Amino acid sequence: MVGAALLVGATVVILGACLLLVILVVAVRARRHSRNQRDEMLLSPLRPPLITVASGEDDDGAATEELTWATGVSRTVLDRNIVEMLTKIRGVPADQLVRVLEVHGAVDAAVADLTSRSTVRRARAAQLLGLAKAEHTVPLLVTALGDEAMEVRNSAAYALGLIGDPVAAGPVLAAIGAPERGLPAATAAEALQSMGVGISEVLRDGMGDPNARTRMVAAHLSGERSFTRGLPELRRLLDDDPDVTVRETSATAIGRLGRGEDVAILVRHTVDSEPLALRRACVIALGELGDPAAVPALATLLADADPRLAELAASALLTMGPDGSSALLGHEDDAAVRSARLMASLQRASA
Amino acid sequence: MSWDGLIEGLRSFVVWVMDVSSVPIIIYFLLINTSLLVLIGLAYLEFRAQQRRRATALTWQGAGLAPGVSLLVPAYNEEAGIVTAVKSFLTLRYPRHEVVVVDDGSSDQTFARLEEAFDLVQVPRELPHEVPVRARVLGIWVPRDGRTRLVVVRKENSGRSEAINVAINAASEPLVAMIDGDSILEPDGLLHVTRPFADDPTRMVATGGAIRPVNGSRVVSGRIVRVEMPQTWIPRIQLVEYLRAFLLGRTGWSRVGGLILISGAFGLFRRDVVVEVGGLDPDSIGEDFELVMRIHKRMRDEGRDYKVEFVPEPVSWTEVPVTATVLRNQRRRWHRGLWETLWAYRSMLFRPKYGRIGFLALPYYWLFELIAPLLEFFGILIVPLALLLGVVNVPFAILFLVLAYGYAVLVTLSAMVVDEWAFHKHDRWRAIWQTIAASVLENIGYRQATVWWRLEGWWSSLRGKKHVWGVMTRTGFDEDPA
Amino acid sequence: MSAPAGDPDASPVRVLVADDDADIRDLVEFKLTQAGYAVEAVPDGVSAWEAFEANPPQLAVLDVMMPGLSGIDVLRKIRESGHPSVPVLLLSAKSRDSDVDTGFAVGADDYVIKPFSPRELLHRVNGMLARAR
Repeated sequence: MVGAALLVGATVVILGACLLLVILVVAVRARRHSRNQRDEMLLSPLRPPLITVASGEDDDGAATEELTWATGVSRTVLDRNIVEMLTKIRGVPADQLVRVLEVHGAVDAAVADLTSRSTVRRARAAQLLGLAKAEHTVPLLVTALGDEAMEVRNSAAYALGLIGDPVAAGPVLAAIGAPERGLPAATAAEALQSMGVGISEVLRDGMGDPNARTRMVAAHLSGERSFTRGLPELRRLLDDDPDVTVRETSATAIGRLGRGEDVAILVRHTVDSEPLALRRACVIALGELGDPAAVPALATLLADADPRLAELAASALLTMGPDGSSALLGHEDDAAVRSARLMASLQRASA
Repeated sequence: MSWDGLIEGLRSFVVWVMDVSSVPIIIYFLLINTSLLVLIGLAYLEFRAQQRRRATALTWQGAGLAPGVSLLVPAYNEEAGIVTAVKSFLTLRYPRHEVVVVDDGSSDQTFARLEEAFDLVQVPRELPHEVPVRARVLGIWVPRDGRTRLVVVRKENSGRSEAINVAINAASEPLVAMIDGDSILEPDGLLHVTRPFADDPTRMVATGGAIRPVNGSRVVSGRIVRVEMPQTWIPRIQLVEYLRAFLLGRTGWSRVGGLILISGAFGLFRRDVVVEVGGLDPDSIGEDFELVMRIHKRMRDEGRDYKVEFVPEPVSWTEVPVTATVLRNQRRRWHRGLWETLWAYRSMLFRPKYGRIGFLALPYYWLFELIAPLLEFFGILIVPLALLLGVVNVPFAILFLVLAYGYAVLVTLSAMVVDEWAFHKHDRWRAIWQTIAASVLENIGYRQATVWWRLEGWWSSLRGKKHVWGVMTRTGFDEDPA
Repeated sequence: MSAPAGDPDASPVRVLVADDDADIRDLVEFKLTQAGYAVEAVPDGVSAWEAFEANPPQLAVLDVMMPGLSGIDVLRKIRESGHPSVPVLLLSAKSRDSDVDTGFAVGADDYVIKPFSPRELLHRVNGMLARAR
């Protein structure tokens, strides 16, 4: 009897929960619809002046003025729309829209929101400060890099990238390796990309960081942005970093900005005791460097057991002028050399 | 022995079976329901996480750290769609990707179509033999224009796994994605599945993205332009299965760090890691699942710091079986693959070295994926029998069924809420009602049929029946989405 | 979609704008209309292709990232269907060199990177039409 009662109870609970979920699905959808409708309605009178300002056609400033008058809920909705607009346009119209935000007090409100309890509010606040290029908030955004929520850390790094002040480079790079609260490497790299030349020192230091991700981002960016100052560190990473991804990244970076003396270093890591992926990266880097000093080493690789490595060596030699070509003599019938020649000729024909 | 005596004997047998089995069954029921509750809890967490992620989303354009990707496309007799598919793969939004098509000894015009569409030229290249391959490679071709990043390899027919292994050898980018020629990728799907690699470049070894059934939707030039519900109930119910599998199952496992099944989803792997473990096993029937298990085992055996992550964004769409015959083949194959792989890796169970994989994920798959159809089959058999013999009364039996299947519906509905909140791919109200209806209808007939088919698959493996290679291996995918 | 004709003697130049983002769609439409173009604005790739086929414009501005058919997909269809000469400008997201590469490979004539300056967009459209004549 007790069993039956229990069974009935459980069934009722289950069916009730099902019903609740159905209502929830419907409610979620209905709410989204009605929200969208409400926002659209509130925004509709402000939409024409917004588009006028955003498209840079507000010569007399009348439309900008009109936008600054918005109050209450429509102002909230408008400000949200302006922030979105700022991700899409730049130049004078963007500056005008930032002014509207400032008049509305949205920038000050965002500063306050950085310490809100809601993750979404903190993240959005950080994004707004970046889009409004609020340089005076850099220290606050740097603090937000250590936020407990990943969304906020990401948004803070994004904002610091938009502001572009190299002061933030060190903290952004260091945030990657923060235990438990790390900043995703991709976000950090993107933010650092848009900071000035002032970051080369920071990147050099970053290559000595205990965290592999930090070293990789620092090595990658040193190559991307051709900071030759980082070369000694890149060579060291290629030589003995415990992480193979970091080593490959360093090889590629050296290929971009290396000097004559780097030929020997790259060649050293093409020996077959190294991981294949690293050997290939080094051969590609030697081709990028284009220094004929690499010819003898590449020539021996033409007979390597790995056909791809041999083809990469042949391709590299083809870019090295007469020295390179003469090294190919005697290998003309090798599959690797014939493939490399064919690929090069196809690419030349299309260029 | 009289007829009555026979009935009486049967009755006491059923009573005895129910007595003996009631305790284990109740324990099993408690376990499975608790695990479902945990899944629902995880879904709730996921729901909140998605809400936050959506509200604070920043567009990532794959600048900087996005690693290059090789899309590996095995093709066997796909002359009809291969050119459109390859074109749609080549124009995915991604900073660096190539397409490697391996023509697995097609007997139709697959290669000729490609040759004509891309003006292919043969390259006298020799492929690396990083992953061992048995079949002979017949040649390698590239487009004459010298910039379209396509490589076409022809080989003797030897099945999908070997075709992919050849493609791995031919691939030149650091990441490889295995896709079927008939799947449809979202234009920015690659950006989603590579993101974890860009965020954690030194540790991430594999990621998977969600798959959805494409049946019924409008497709133009290899892209989904309008998402619609499938026309019939068999694919509609599978849509529900996929929702549940990806939004609750995979995401949940990814969250607790025990993701062992990313196949059946769109999988992306570090090429050097796949090479290191030896590529796909051409003799395995659940080859994608087997690969992920092998990667987990290798990483844990060597004590490496690594990650496998699931990306809930739908990135790929696929045609699911419309007829019971095809569905039966698929489910038999899935369950057989599940059994063979779980059995092969039984040594990982409850070994501290394998952490959550050994203590949580694998036991779960044994108990609730592998053995579940057996117990369910037992229930399907015993309940009607008991009813017939008057051992239990009708209201009790009905209550029991409602309770058992009510749970299943509950889980599905939780998945729907998450989906509705996070992705809302279907914008018609009718789609909601049809999905809810499918989640109920699933329990009437469909579920029982799949239980039987899964047992068939398992049984054929136990009897040591050799799996037949050929066309069948090329239909659908290769893992259970459940 | 009528536009104030810049030159009373000639009918305005027709431009097709496709972007799933209403903000960009509206402001590009506004900017180009102000400059005297006749703009047809559509919210996705399929409508863009349908509009193009129904009445080929003299220039198209396509967003690369649209759901369903992307801008590059539409461009590919345009180029494959015997309209090699209609100039196409791609709107691409920030720092996405590859979109630009893919775009040029498929046959784009110019591109603008988001976030963009509306004024620059107008100059490029004017320039492309001048070159096309």
